[in-house]
Amino acid sequence: MAELTTTKLNAESHLLLDQPLLRMPYEQSRKTFNQARKYIQHEQTSVQKTLKATASAALKASQNPSSTPPADVLNNLDAMITKMQSLKRKLVDLNTAELATHASTQARLAHLQSLHTIPSLADVKYEEWSRVRLNRLLVDYLLRSGYGESAAQLAREKGIEELVDLEAWGQCARIERSLRAGRTQEAVAWCADNRKGLEKLGCNLEFELRLQQYIEMVRSCDTKKLIEARTHARKYLASHSETNFAIRAAGLLAFPPETEAEPYKSLYSPNRYSHLASLFLTTHNALYSLPSRPLLHIALSAGLSALKTPSCHSAYASSSANASSSTTTVCPICSTELNELARNVPYAHHTKSYVENDPVVLPNGRIYGWERLKRVNEKFGTEKGKVRDPTDLNVVFEDRAIKKVFIS
Amino acid sequence: MEALQREVEQLQKENNLEKTVEDVQKTIDLLLHARQAIAADASAAPVTMAKLQNSVQQSFDRVNRDLKPVHQGLNNYQKAVTNMFKDKPLPTAENDALSSHPSLVNRAIAMHLLREGQFSVAATFIEEANAHPPQPEPTPGTPNPYLQEAWEKDLANGTFNSQKLQQQFAEMYHILHELKQQKNLAPAIAWAKERSIVLENRGSNLEFELCRLQFVCLFKGGDIQGPPADPVLGVLRAMQYARSDFGPFQHRYGKEVSELAAAMPFAHNMAESPYRRIFYNDSAWEEVATSFTREFCSLLGLSADSPLYIAATAGAIALPTLLKLQKIMKDKRTEWTTQNELPVEIPLPPAYHFHSIFVCPVSKEQATDQNPPMMMPCGHVIAKESLDKISKGARFKCPYCPAESHPREAKKVFL
Repeated sequence: MAELTTTKLNAESHLLLDQPLLRMPYEQSRKTFNQARKYIQHEQTSVQKTLKATASAALKASQNPSSTPPADVLNNLDAMITKMQSLKRKLVDLNTAELATHASTQARLAHLQSLHTIPSLADVKYEEWSRVRLNRLLVDYLLRSGYGESAAQLAREKGIEELVDLEAWGQCARIERSLRAGRTQEAVAWCADNRKGLEKLGCNLEFELRLQQYIEMVRSCDTKKLIEARTHARKYLASHSETNFAIRAAGLLAFPPETEAEPYKSLYSPNRYSHLASLFLTTHNALYSLPSRPLLHIALSAGLSALKTPSCHSAYASSSANASSSTTTVCPICSTELNELARNVPYAHHTKSYVENDPVVLPNGRIYGWERLKRVNEKFGTEKGKVRDPTDLNVVFEDRAIKKVFIS
Repeated sequence: MEALQREVEQLQKENNLEKTVEDVQKTIDLLLHARQAIAADASAAPVTMAKLQNSVQQSFDRVNRDLKPVHQGLNNYQKAVTNMFKDKPLPTAENDALSSHPSLVNRAIAMHLLREGQFSVAATFIEEANAHPPQPEPTPGTPNPYLQEAWEKDLANGTFNSQKLQQQFAEMYHILHELKQQKNLAPAIAWAKERSIVLENRGSNLEFELCRLQFVCLFKGGDIQGPPADPVLGVLRAMQYARSDFGPFQHRYGKEVSELAAAMPFAHNMAESPYRRIFYNDSAWEEVATSFTREFCSLLGLSADSPLYIAATAGAIALPTLLKLQKIMKDKRTEWTTQNELPVEIPLPPAYHFHSIFVCPVSKEQATDQNPPMMMPCGHVIAKESLDKISKGARFKCPYCPAESHPREAKKVFL
């Protein structure tokens, strides 16, 4: 049988919600790296090409003694040097960014590592650690919900900027917003940046985006645009694995934007943009192996259930924890913040009763631990021989009316 | 974890773009050099350029080679992460009951921020949340019969009065600050006096405890405002204070008040007197502060500790168990049939138990409003459904002792 209470802390298995914490910096560094490689490749091709041209021009010039001085050569060299210098500047910036990412990874690891030094769940240090975690989860939630300003402010005030991914989520939110506003360029650029990963996922996002661009061209009903649309479709849509996809796109040409015929009507629909936005979010989360729901939801759903008891939404005040008496602590599920949220979650499973020591029952059916009842009544200053019900202080009983009750 | 640590250190020290930058600089140097040579001697141009082509090519090769360890390092890091979370998949939110109530989640967060004293963050958040109200996402598996109810609409319409709550918490933080930092009891006492009756009905001693601490302060030579005064003067002041303010406490705290009075003669050697525990209690300030916070929150119907914190922590503690359950259920291809109860017990630290729990010893089911605990005249308690089943409406023997009783003699009890 499972134990009722535990303070054991198994740090290894406790770190379930923290995978994204270590994944995101990797994605970030990978992006930086790819950027660097792209810059280098680009400059390499261009410099080598210029170099070759200049060299052969110089050679030709030297074979022909009457020809021009090497001013061209020098100009070309200067151009190349400027290019290379700008490449270096870019690389230095990327290097700084990369090192910052690594430093934040280091900080995250230290944060996770510190959990291993905490002996038990009842330790004060665990509370501290858990508060940092809550703030992390909150920032994650705020970022996902698009409340970037609040997220940044909270992270700043709590000093946990290294433990959260403000920038990555900021970019994600920007792209999502641009899609909702009816622009596809940003999302297409994002797809280009992540082409390899997206191919591995086998996702449709880019096709859907290209299809949307195509739809917009067709919507205009302008002949020039229609021709453009045809080339666009050949270039981007024909390679879709499902032939129906391209056929449907081609069919669209035959229908005007105000058509009632499906599926073309829904293709023309402006609702497609919000569909694209959510498709982007799903793809983004899948690509970076982030959970599709905010981490806070996952933690809270589990927590609400683990804490909830049938008493939390009962019509009767609980003797052991209610807000009307200062002798009990208010249960978090009964507290205004979470009460309604917890209404739909299942309550915790218990196989054993969990009651105060020496339970006694008052004539009105309320059960209290004898020690607590005595102590509380001393505090109230109840007259001798009488006892007050801590849940409803107006009710006074004779001492003799208290009865022992057996709960197993 | 150690493997990851190593990979990150490697990335920081070795496998980054630093060397690439250096080699790019070398390429630049090559170009500069060539430029100088050609500028000095134009006739050298063809030869220099031919050579340059080669060396630049090599230099770029080096740059590209420099990228390899960076790539490798990143890959190693990713592998280490994957390895670390190998048997710990991200928990899926199968029982996500929250996505369908985003405005409730937002309200809980706003209240959490306010009660933590993060007023400016809370203000920004409320503004942003009102500007972009969240979209409820109905989640499969968690039906949502409550969406139509009034309270949900109230919240969705943004009638959540954050201004008022913020004012209240601002007041709480002000009083706490005075209490803890300034050792000034006046605001707290004023607050408690205003709510004297409510507090008394709750059975709270807060007001008296605050006044007693004030008395002790004065007695020990403190002033109402703080600066220490003459010891004799202090005792006189304390007496004066007791005369003017202790009147209402006479009845309920007669014993404590007379204790304070009896301590007076010991003014000169209080440390050896029987009353030292009242006068030299180091944790007294902390205690009244905690008790004040609790009363303050309780009067607002809130728990003293942030529920969001407790629930999120409990959730993190529960997740490994739930994950294991999910795995077992998947392996055995069974479904979780009890809709309103978790299928597994989740051990939590004792501080996370708030309500008493009654599990019927006969049916092993938890008592609910529909199936409340019933006490038989012998004092044993079983759930109502079990009682009905055993008795079938006639006299029956208690399953735990020889006593016999009639079901109508059983009484509903409240835990």
